[in-house]
Amino acid sequence: MARILLVEDNEMNRDMLSRRLTRKGFEVETAVDGREGVEMAKTGEYDLILMDMSLPEIDGWEATRQLRAAPDTERTPIVALTAHAMAGDREKALEAGCDDYDTKPIELDRLLSKINALLENSP
Amino acid sequence: MSDPKQLGRVVTGGNTSPAKMRSALLGLSTRIAEAQDETEVCRSVVEGLCRVEFGFEGVGLFLAGSDSFSPALRASAGRFGAGDGQVSELKLPLQVGQSAIGELVVQRERSRAFDKGDLEILGAAANQASIAIGRARLLESERTRISEQRALLDTLADLSGELELDKLLQAVLGRAVSLLGVTGGELAVFDDAVEQLVIVASHNLGEDSTGAHMNLGEGAMGHVALTHEPLIIPNYQVWEGRSPQYTHDTVQTVMVVPLLIGARLVGAIASVHSDPSRKFGEADLRLLNLFAAQAAIAIENARLFAAERRRAGEQKALLDTMQDLSGELELAKVLQRVLERAAALLGVTGAEVATYDEAAEDLVIAASHNMGWDAVGNRMALGEGAMGQVAQTHEPLIIPRYQEWGGRSSQYAQSTVQTVMVAPLLIGSRLVGAIAAVHSDPDREFGPEDLRLLQLFAPQAAIAIENARLFSTAQRYVEDIVLNNPVAIVNLDLDVNITSCNPAFEKLFGYGAEEVIGRNLDELVTTEETRAEAEAYSEQMLAGRRTTGVGQRRRKDGSLVDVEVFSIPVIVGGARVGMMAMYHDITELLDARRTAEEASHSKSRFLANTSHELRTPLNAIIGYSEMLLEDAEEGGDEESASDLQKIRAAGRHLLSLINDILDLSKIEAGRMELDLETFGVCETINDVATTVHPLIENNANRLEVDCSQDVGSIHADAKRVRQVLLNLVSNASKFTEEGVITIDAARESNGGGDGDWLVLRVSDSGIGMTPDQVARLFKPFSQADAATSTKYGGTGLGLAISRRLCQLMGGDVSVESEKGRGSTFTVRLPAVVPERGAH
Repeated sequence: MARILLVEDNEMNRDMLSRRLTRKGFEVETAVDGREGVEMAKTGEYDLILMDMSLPEIDGWEATRQLRAAPDTERTPIVALTAHAMAGDREKALEAGCDDYDTKPIELDRLLSKINALLENSP
Repeated sequence: MSDPKQLGRVVTGGNTSPAKMRSALLGLSTRIAEAQDETEVCRSVVEGLCRVEFGFEGVGLFLAGSDSFSPALRASAGRFGAGDGQVSELKLPLQVGQSAIGELVVQRERSRAFDKGDLEILGAAANQASIAIGRARLLESERTRISEQRALLDTLADLSGELELDKLLQAVLGRAVSLLGVTGGELAVFDDAVEQLVIVASHNLGEDSTGAHMNLGEGAMGHVALTHEPLIIPNYQVWEGRSPQYTHDTVQTVMVVPLLIGARLVGAIASVHSDPSRKFGEADLRLLNLFAAQAAIAIENARLFAAERRRAGEQKALLDTMQDLSGELELAKVLQRVLERAAALLGVTGAEVATYDEAAEDLVIAASHNMGWDAVGNRMALGEGAMGQVAQTHEPLIIPRYQEWGGRSSQYAQSTVQTVMVAPLLIGSRLVGAIAAVHSDPDREFGPEDLRLLQLFAPQAAIAIENARLFSTAQRYVEDIVLNNPVAIVNLDLDVNITSCNPAFEKLFGYGAEEVIGRNLDELVTTEETRAEAEAYSEQMLAGRRTTGVGQRRRKDGSLVDVEVFSIPVIVGGARVGMMAMYHDITELLDARRTAEEASHSKSRFLANTSHELRTPLNAIIGYSEMLLEDAEEGGDEESASDLQKIRAAGRHLLSLINDILDLSKIEAGRMELDLETFGVCETINDVATTVHPLIENNANRLEVDCSQDVGSIHADAKRVRQVLLNLVSNASKFTEEGVITIDAARESNGGGDGDWLVLRVSDSGIGMTPDQVARLFKPFSQADAATSTKYGGTGLGLAISRRLCQLMGGDVSVESEKGRGSTFTVRLPAVVPERGAH
């Protein structure tokens, strides 16, 4: 059972996505901001992290950079989630160290295929 | 002095019988009356008085010549002048009117004194002689004048139109030869550049010497040219001065007179007799002199005409250049020159020219030469004075005794002018002015030839006036345009210094014209920041190029003004003489644009933000409805599942609407960025085909894809290309039922490589569009009409976005459609979309 950390500040999105992923058979834990996300990720041994980019305290890009800098999490797959869909967001996310990128609103099937691809390739 | 009333009274003199005396007196009177000319009159008087009946021993008649007041003996009879002091002498004056013309001198032996009877006889004879001489002179001068006028008219008649001097001189010479009754003649013009005579006309001299040159002093003509004196060579064949150029052995006698204008030599005219019995006399000389005068004038006129034509050409060029001299000023100069030349040629004291002011219907003195005072600018009503009268009648006028003339203008009350000649200046039948010439010398008179000469100058003056009028009209027109132009206009010299500016310039920059003239434009209106740019414009102008640009310039008060600058070189006759710069104040325009752009940005920002805010709750709606749908489907609650599907569909539709708005606003805000990558075209098409498959099936359509692998890859934003294709194909599917939708792709090679284009075509056999609908098609929120929108759904933004995306990639979308027959959308994209920043 893959363990996913969902870092998302919007309560409804957090609730909905975590529940839908749980239904698909993932073990999901959530963090409400970047700081909490980084702390949980460092201790929680997750298989994959879904990272919203617009977060309070520490934003998604900074959180990703910190996670990539930490030995425990440097190779954990991170999927960036953003509502902006602005050109450049994808590059920005990949630059910060994310492995993939998806835009909100989430199309579950699309997200699942990205998650599964990363989980299959991860060591 | 005798009383004319006593004439005819018979007085007995000496021992002659009264009858004989009467008969002698009658004979005298008859002879005098019958005399044909002056010489005959003289002879008949002296011979008549020497008849024995009168008892005089010698009679002499002295007459003053027309050119000299010292009398010369013209006729004598008897033993006149032979006396050795033993004679007594009686002198009687001869008078015509009030002037003495000579005297009658009668001699008799000292032993016989003159008595009262003699005195009366002689008085009567003197009177008769005076009258006869007066009449003969009048007749002679009349005859001369008639023939002279005739010759003059003949000569001057040739002056019309193009002046061909050689032909004219040939004609003059021909007439001279025929009038003199000589064998032949020759006419030479003096070329003062080489100081030689050049034969320009030759008449019946055996061989044509035209074109021959002769040095001063060489031959008869050269001799005359040197001395300026007429020359008669009675026996030419033995004359040692013969020029080697003249070998004709037939010429017997030669007469040559110089052609003079004042004291200046312009040529010589020669006439020859081949008949040894013919001689040249005084009358011949006078006649030849007359032709000489005409030829001289013709030559001079030709020169003046040539010079005038040249000057007229120069004048026109000058006027054409529109340089800083005003038309009026130039006109005054031209007229002054015309007057000076006319005065010199006519030998008059002064001259004046007036222009006709059509608006005021009066004359204005435009130029004055040697009139004693400067009347330039004075006005004269039509009919006022000599010029006013000519202006009214359009006829030339000569006023022989101006001081007594009743028509004098009060403006000329102080004038000491004696005689006046005025000619109208006409262009066709339209009056443009009048030209006047005056003599202050009471002995001088104006004749028809003077008038003719004056009228030679009239066309020049008229044309100059007309040109000036046309020029000043054109100039005033241009000036009005410049003066009233809302655009600031400044004229510059080649050093970029200001030569003039219009009121709009003064208003725009806050300077008065007097403050800026002579100053360097670039220094005056630029700031440190814009100096280089302004100087670049100036350099362009100097290089002869027009430039336009937008920038900021500095006002007098230091504030800056946004301007559009238009600069042009001013080229006259191929040469750059200056520059002109125009400034259009675009402050308001720029403000309006900034406001509009700001508003547009605000709108786009607002839309982008709002869209984002809308998507978050939508996320939840779609997400939760999907969750519930899954629950309902798993639980077999079909009714709930159906409702939840509707909620999800509505949510997705709303989402696509918001996405489109977001895309559009991003494009319009210039925040849409392209994500360029190289991808296979056929793969993308197949991907789209798969995606739209359900839609195609919905309307029972068939999708055909025609993509050869030759099309290969392109470098573009794959996501956006896919978006465009998806939009076009889903549109096609929406508006087509049970039809065929075709996607085909082709590569338009442009020699291969980066210049290639990708052409994607989406065709359908659907409902098609009218031209009106096509015209609105790519505008946002414009499905073909509201009805279609309701029926077919969609946001109405897809095509607008598709087109903008293609344009963003350097391509475009176009459409061909026919109502009821279907549509074909064609996408053209560069095979390699260039990298660039935000649009």
